[in-house]
Amino acid sequence: MPTPPLPSGGLSRRTMLAGLGGLGAALALAGCSAPGGSGLRSRVTEITFYQTKPEAIPYFADLVARFNDAQSGVRVVHDSTSGIAAGFVRGGPPDVAAFTYNLEMARFMERGALSDLGDLPEAARIRPEVQQLVDQYATYPGRTSVLPYSITAASVIYNVDLFEQAGVAVPETWSELLAACETFRAAGVDPIYSTFREPWTVAQGLFDYTSGGMLDVADFFERLSAQGTEVGRGSGASFERDFAEPVDRMLQLAEHSNANRNSRGYGDGNLAMAQGQAAMLLQGPWALAEIEKANPGARVGTFPLPMTEDPADRKVRVNLDLALWIPQSSRKQEAAREFLRFLLQPEIQDAYNRDFLAFGTTTTAPPVTDERIVGMQRYYDEGRFYQGASKAIPLTIPAENYVQGIVTGADPAGTLRTMDADWRRLAFRA
Amino acid sequence: MAPTTATGTPVARVQQAVAPASAAGTRSAGRRRGRRVDPVFYLFLLPTLAIFTLAITLPAVMGVFFSFTNSIGFGDFEMVGLTNYVALVGDPAILASYGFTMGFALVTVLIVNVLAFALALGLTSRIRAKTALRAVFVIPMVVSGIIIAFVFQFLFSNSLPALGTTLGVPGLQDSILADASTAWIGIVVVTAWQAIPSALLIYIAGLLSIPGEVYEASALDGAGGWKQLRSITLPLVAGYVVINTIIGFKNFLNSYDIIVGLTNGGPGTSTRSIAMTIFSGFTSGDYAYQMANATVFFVIAVAISLVQLRLTRGKAAL
Repeated sequence: MPTPPLPSGGLSRRTMLAGLGGLGAALALAGCSAPGGSGLRSRVTEITFYQTKPEAIPYFADLVARFNDAQSGVRVVHDSTSGIAAGFVRGGPPDVAAFTYNLEMARFMERGALSDLGDLPEAARIRPEVQQLVDQYATYPGRTSVLPYSITAASVIYNVDLFEQAGVAVPETWSELLAACETFRAAGVDPIYSTFREPWTVAQGLFDYTSGGMLDVADFFERLSAQGTEVGRGSGASFERDFAEPVDRMLQLAEHSNANRNSRGYGDGNLAMAQGQAAMLLQGPWALAEIEKANPGARVGTFPLPMTEDPADRKVRVNLDLALWIPQSSRKQEAAREFLRFLLQPEIQDAYNRDFLAFGTTTTAPPVTDERIVGMQRYYDEGRFYQGASKAIPLTIPAENYVQGIVTGADPAGTLRTMDADWRRLAFRA
Repeated sequence: MAPTTATGTPVARVQQAVAPASAAGTRSAGRRRGRRVDPVFYLFLLPTLAIFTLAITLPAVMGVFFSFTNSIGFGDFEMVGLTNYVALVGDPAILASYGFTMGFALVTVLIVNVLAFALALGLTSRIRAKTALRAVFVIPMVVSGIIIAFVFQFLFSNSLPALGTTLGVPGLQDSILADASTAWIGIVVVTAWQAIPSALLIYIAGLLSIPGEVYEASALDGAGGWKQLRSITLPLVAGYVVINTIIGFKNFLNSYDIIVGLTNGGPGTSTRSIAMTIFSGFTSGDYAYQMANATVFFVIAVAISLVQLRLTRGKAAL
């Protein structure tokens, strides 16, 4: 069918479509350009700073603004993410980052992805026991790849009022702990509040506390790694043998928990503690801010979970909540180091740790003053701490899910054997 | 009287009409054989082909390549041949995820198609407010899967046990998602809830494509409602059933967001799907191993689709 003649003097369809296409292409190209302007004022070095704690975003945004205002040579762009692997895989990691340091980060470190910060004067101020926590996962010989910034210590959060009302003292041995649970049961209060619906709470709470209080976790994993594909067969370290008793005690403590524990989550636990529904919550200090939000008048404190009959065995679980690093591939390392050293100034670092209920990593860090965590100070000072077992197991083995399975009814010995088998398979592949 | 065809057109006229047409056909066929295809048709294909290759084919080939290495996703790696595939076969966690996902997909496909067909029958009959009801039933399709999952997780963990305790129903006192033997039921319910609208739309289209005369003719022959359904409706929508089953099964094999939002693979590892296991390779440094898993999954999915197409050959409506 012949096309109708074009209207003379008006916009033909072809011209209009060409015009729209050109406009669309122009918009698309504009969207592809670098954000924030580029090129012309190149004397200002722009660096990206990543930080992993969602609740600390406003705090760090404030610090970044202070740094940007205080000098004009470096401009920091603040961003946040919880998955850093993608950045490295794409070849575009941030220029400087403040990240949780654990086994997953260690993977990058041992392949030399992080630059050496050992020549900075701030590196010499880090406590040796804290630097050892970094080495527990992996080392890159000859480099100080990360600088620990903030350590959070976690133990049992307890309701001070409920303890006083029931006349229970803070337990110092395993049998005292069980007796305390019985007393609370008799008084009609849930001794422990458990939140088994979210696997990470079980892994970081019950599992890590019970295993850390009875085993030398760092030594166990060193022996386990040395065995590789022979784990679980014959002698030596294995989950089935070494974790049998901690898991058994973990199940005993689970029995002393609230009846609806299988369907409760992290938020429910914080709310219950705030409302005084349970005496103890095995959760880290990040929950203290949540509890305070729900009930500012709640009186809570912390004590390490006693797992043996010797009070001197008590330890607190720590993790490197924030560690600073600069990737080797960053092309703006000088500028990144300027920001790094700004963050590491004592007034800034100590203020952060104070505001976020964490412990300082330097030899000159002041002791904590918040009454909720002051109970853990002496354990931290004396080096009586460990990193959780669940954090030393590679993510390939879904340890958190396995532990959740154990507390919700799966066979403990069978699950521990499965963990051994998974470790063997991983060692075979690696 | 001149001979006529069935519709009354004189045969001679038909022959006249056919002859020039066939002559024109051979003329144009001759033209086609001799002339080149206008290159503009290739240009039309080029953008789609380029995007498809870059976004789908190339990454897939790279994934298959990495499955023969020990890469963790970046940095140096070595070729390790078939080590990953050998390890795959003996890994009970992976086999369990395949078993769970296949079983879950089968059950869900059945439920979705039965319910969607029943709903389609209702929504194409002479009820009131048909259009409004159709709109209501399509709503689950437009909401994001992860949001649905989180809302239903709250319902299963809090509202349903509260209801169950008040009414004294034995199985509902605690969340069904917290028990390894009933968690899959929750996942099936939510997945079906989201998948029924799309199957429903296809079945409505299928039912509307059946001409009304067929039903009239069968009613004249004395067929009741149930006989009509069995002998008229079902054979005529068989093609649409095939489409829904193949597409539905493929989608349910890939389930990820609803399972993550509801149980995150729990309790324990009882509801871990294949897609969850593969994706964990990106964040856990087990990149090459899960690429091998993904390659095997791809081969299995293609094989299943081919088998399904073969079994239903000739009956697909589209």
